[in-house]
Order: sequence, then structure tokens, then C-alpha cells
Amino acid sequence: MSENKHRVSRRQFLNYTLTGVGGFMAAGMLMPMVRFALDPILKEEAGTEMVAVAQVKDITTEPQRFDFKVKVKDAWYESEEPKSAWVYKDDKGEIVALSPVCKHLGCTVNWNGDKGNPNRFFCPCHYGLYEKDGTNVPGTPPIYPLDRYELKVKDGTLYLGKAKPRGEA
Amino acid sequence: MKWTAKDVEVYLQEKEYIDTAVIPLIPLTLEKNVKSIASMGEFVQIIVGELERQFKGRVFLLPPFTYFTSESMEEKIKRIADWTSQLTANGMKHIFYVTSDTEWKAGEASLPGTLLWLPSIPLEHMDEKYKQQIVMDQTSQLMNLLISKWS
Ligand code: FES
Repeated sequence: MSENKHRVSRRQFLNYTLTGVGGFMAAGMLMPMVRFALDPILKEEAGTEMVAVAQVKDITTEPQRFDFKVKVKDAWYESEEPKSAWVYKDDKGEIVALSPVCKHLGCTVNWNGDKGNPNRFFCPCHYGLYEKDGTNVPGTPPIYPLDRYELKVKDGTLYLGKAKPRGEA
Repeated sequence: MKWTAKDVEVYLQEKEYIDTAVIPLIPLTLEKNVKSIASMGEFVQIIVGELERQFKGRVFLLPPFTYFTSESMEEKIKRIADWTSQLTANGMKHIFYVTSDTEWKAGEASLPGTLLWLPSIPLEHMDEKYKQQIVMDQTSQLMNLLISKWS
């Protein structure tokens, strides 16, 4: 990666990120394993709406967050909408891809986001909780499980489609 | 939540859950440093947009508070205080102002809400990977601040 190609050099980049907001930084936590689906350059499979999100070999039994973009067409303009998925292999070795959008009012949930609730998804907005498989924990605000993405695997790459609701738990 | 009919509909039904307002403070000028001032605003808008995506269910992202750089700090504080009291009178408990404009640091003590200052990072010549990483880093720092105010 040649430094002089970018007007923002590596040093500037570090300065920006290390100083900056650092001044009023609260303890660093949250967003534990953020991964970007960059390299398989978000190629869309011809004819389908599925997007390449991750390499199967990177998927573990621990949910990891993968970020990707989907094209959305809104009446008069097209844009790219950022999306995320929590992806893991379940006990049977099958891949599960959950939408991080809280079914209460739509905040983004995090795996292990709350120390008091290990191995659950946590919503920081009104303290919603979900089990690993996405089932909402009764007594917390959400009343539905997390949506699941349609998925398919081709040549070692995971493709995700639409997030589908699972209905009442 | 954003200031759109669709989001406002949810807001009206779920008011008690949406107690945090985020106001981007965006300077304007056609005189000096026009480009860097525009890029400041652009950066802040990207970050608050991402913040809204993460915290949609609790945070109301307001349309930006805009001002010409020639407006006096006194005048701006008066206006922003007015915005703030409209919001708190209607149930908002946490008010955050997000800006890259260093001017606000001088006025911080007289602001009724919390000022979150971001360094302005010119994203336009950066490659996609750095860009995403920076936006993510800055957003997660803001998220942590909001979370710590909430608890
Ligand atoms: S938006 Fe997740 S608990 Fe309210």
C-alpha cells in the first residue's frame, strides 16, 4: 500500500484516529468482532439479490459481525444501504445469519454486549435481550425473535439475501 | 429516528422510548475555507447518520442546526438553547450536539446539552477500507458516550 497515493498518509490516519475524539472516550468496548466484507467486493450474484458477505472458512461457532452493502432503489434514486449480520455455525454445523436490527424499535444489537448477560444478544437502547439463536428473552422489550437472512454458500463464499421474520416466539 | 413522516409516526406511538435528541451543528460560508467547512459538515453528517442507524429506536436525529460562520457565538447559543428547550419541553431527556467546528468549544460551558466534538477527517481521498474503518471508529466512540450518559 503506497503511502503517497493517498492524500491521507498512514501517519495522518493514525493521528486522526488516536487523538481526536480520544479526549472524551469512554472505556473502549462494544462492537467486539467487526469484520468487513470488503475483499469479495460485494459482488452481486447475477440474477439474484444475494450479496457476498463472508468466507465460510472465517465463520466460527461464535457469532461475528459482518458488514456489507446492498443496493436499494427508492422511487427516484439508487443508493447503497449499509447492513450487518451476526453470523455463526450452530451445533449442527449449519450457518446462521441473524439481522442485528432489534425487533423492538430498531437499534442494533450486539453479541455479548452486556456483561451481565453472556452469550446473548443485547440491545443497548432499552436493554432488549435475545438468545444465541435469535429468540427474544421474555420480560425484555422485544416481543419477536431477530430476523434471519436467507443464505446460500457457493465456492466457499457466504451470500445473504433478505432478512425474514421468524414470527412470535 | 429521522425527521421523516415514517419515523415520526413511530415516534408518536413510542414517545416514552425515544428520549435522546442528536443535533448536528453545521457551519456554512461562501467566503473563506469554503471547502474545508463543507467537508466538516459532510463528515459530521456521515457520522450522525451511522449513529442513527445503530440507535434508531432511542435517538432522534434532527435536521442540522446550520449557521453562517459570521454569526456570533452569543446568537448561536441563543438559538440552540431555544431548540433545546423545545425538545426538553416535549420529553427529550438527553440532548447531544455533534460538530467538527472548533468554535463551539469556546461556547461549550453555556450550552444546555452535551457537545460532542469530532475531528474533521477529509474522507474524499481515502480508500474505501480506511473510510469505513474511520467512520466505524468515530461512530463507536460516540455510541459509547451515549451509552454512558444513558446508564
Ligand atoms: S430498540 Fe432494542 S430494546 Fe428497544
